Amino acid sequence: MEQRFLPWFKRSYNERTRDLSTRRHIFSASAAVSHQEWRGCMEAIAVRALTKSYGSFEALKGVEMSVPQGAVYGLLGPNGAGKSTLIKALVGALRPSGGEMRVLGLDPLRDRSQLRRCIGYMPQSAALYGDLSARDNVRFFGSAHGLPDLDRRVREVLEFTDLSDRAGDAIHTFSGGMKRRVSLACVLVHRPRVLFLDEPTAAVDPGLRARFWTTFRDLADDGVTLFISTHLMDEALLCDEVAVLRQGRIIIHDTPKGILERGLTRVVVRRSGQGCEEHIIGGHPEDLAQALRSYGLAQDVDAVEVRRDTLETVILSLIEREEVRV
Amino acid sequence: MRRTLVVATRVLRQLIREHRLLGLSVVAPLVIVYFLKLFFDTMPPTFETARYAVPVAAFLVHFLAFLLCAIVLVQERTAGTLERMFINGFRRTEVIGGYLVGYLALATLQAIVALTEAVLLFQLNYAPGTLGVLFIVVWLLAVASVMLGIFISTFARNEGQVFPFIPMIIVPSVFLSGLILDPHRLPDWAEWLGRLLPLRYANNVIQEMIRPGGALGAIWPNLLVLVAYSVVLWVLASRTLAEVE
Ligand SMILES: Nc1ncnc2c1ncn2[C@@H]1O[C@H](COP(=O)(O)OP(=O)(O)O)[C@@H](O)[C@H]1O
Ligand SMILES: [Mg+2]
Repeated sequence: MEQRFLPWFKRSYNERTRDLSTRRHIFSASAAVSHQEWRGCMEAIAVRALTKSYGSFEALKGVEMSVPQGAVYGLLGPNGAGKSTLIKALVGALRPSGGEMRVLGLDPLRDRSQLRRCIGYMPQSAALYGDLSARDNVRFFGSAHGLPDLDRRVREVLEFTDLSDRAGDAIHTFSGGMKRRVSLACVLVHRPRVLFLDEPTAAVDPGLRARFWTTFRDLADDGVTLFISTHLMDEALLCDEVAVLRQGRIIIHDTPKGILERGLTRVVVRRSGQGCEEHIIGGHPEDLAQALRSYGLAQDVDAVEVRRDTLETVILSLIEREEVRV
Repeated sequence: MRRTLVVATRVLRQLIREHRLLGLSVVAPLVIVYFLKLFFDTMPPTFETARYAVPVAAFLVHFLAFLLCAIVLVQERTAGTLERMFINGFRRTEVIGGYLVGYLALATLQAIVALTEAVLLFQLNYAPGTLGVLFIVVWLLAVASVMLGIFISTFARNEGQVFPFIPMIIVPSVFLSGLILDPHRLPDWAEWLGRLLPLRYANNVIQEMIRPGGALGAIWPNLLVLVAYSVVLWVLASRTLAEVE
């Protein structure tokens, strides 16, 4: 990644906001009210010393995390890290072996019936009825909640996910990306306040991926908390906070900015009559300013190029360093 | 209750859209009963075909209702829709109830089709009262079969794991339930094993009703056993169907 003097966070913020679409009406009404109730009360998700063993295999080895209300929280990790296991535990589909967890202050197992109205879970697989239409699928899962305005909600979420013109067609005629959208519509229909999305953008084309993330940011703006797992490290940039899970343990917990600052920046200075010289500095913006003052402002400097580690490089090198330590 | 009906409606809608499954479950008994007829036609005239027509039709309904229900419910587990149902707030009793109601519609259709064909092909001239009792017993057997399918499916993580159960249900049903031989001529242990099978009780009723001069009088408790069988399976299934992994 090459950036000239534009702080990364500003840039990513611009990128994030530029294409925010106008479709945000969908959540505002109900979620805004409920968000008020919760704001400042407590964290949306709290996990303490959570463990899960499948036989003798430990899939989660003491996970700790805290997710604030209204955040887009990214759970990053390679395949097999335990992301799905953690999400299933949080939505009450899986009994952990030990530890504690709270979602909106409720216990996912003990307070299941209460919690199910407030959370939405999008599984890693499509988990839809292939013979039924998109509309019937969304209506079926929505009807579990006894919504008074079910028909209207079904229409709204199908519109929101851009499925209105295929709503009557059977799911088995849909492409992978369309199935993902139906799956998302099923999650949104009952206006949940916390969303758990298990690799929603895996095997999705770049266009749809961008649209998904725009949608996620819109939902977060309306006060919904999003807990999103992904094995694509570059998506960390689009989250407010990130946890990296590796072999059942959280090895990094930070903001994307904080993670980037752990990376390195190379300042390449080209002087007239001489070749290039390369300086490696830390990742803080101040480091860059200082470096430019000391190397960049001399009379004979023709060009200065700044190369920063990408988020992916930083995370992968942190995972590697962890591997050496363990 | 409302959610039970929601599940039942969805199951039915799926059955109607799944033409192959629907076709198979209605056509298969027809074809098999027809082959049975062809087979019996080769027997010497002293062979009493009527004794086998209705019991075999009942057996087919029993087996197909069991198998279809078990497989479709296991497919829900492998596709992840079962998990999704639970997380959306459907309870296991509602899922079981919905499946029972949905598949009963199919089983009723199968019972009518199979009985009608057996009666027509084998030119059985039973009294209307006898036919009524035969229908009721086949229908109760179908309820028990659907419940058995639901119960068995809770032990299978994928479709492949249903298959070992098929011979476990079929083989004892054919030999121990009175379908082809009188269970009282079996050794004691086998006779008792047969009493675990719902087909045994259905056969007790069917054999008596199709016997000339047979009456419901002494054998009606068998119908109660079939009902109890379904209730017990319901209770067991609502314990073994796990909402939380
Ligand atoms: N039902 C299960 N039985 C045994 N092992 C499992 C089961 N589910 C997951 N695992 C194991 O737990 C680990 C974490 O799996 P998972 O949570 O699906 O990872 P991820 O979603 O990060 O790819 C993997 O090694 C996987 O093989
Ligand atoms: Mg996973």
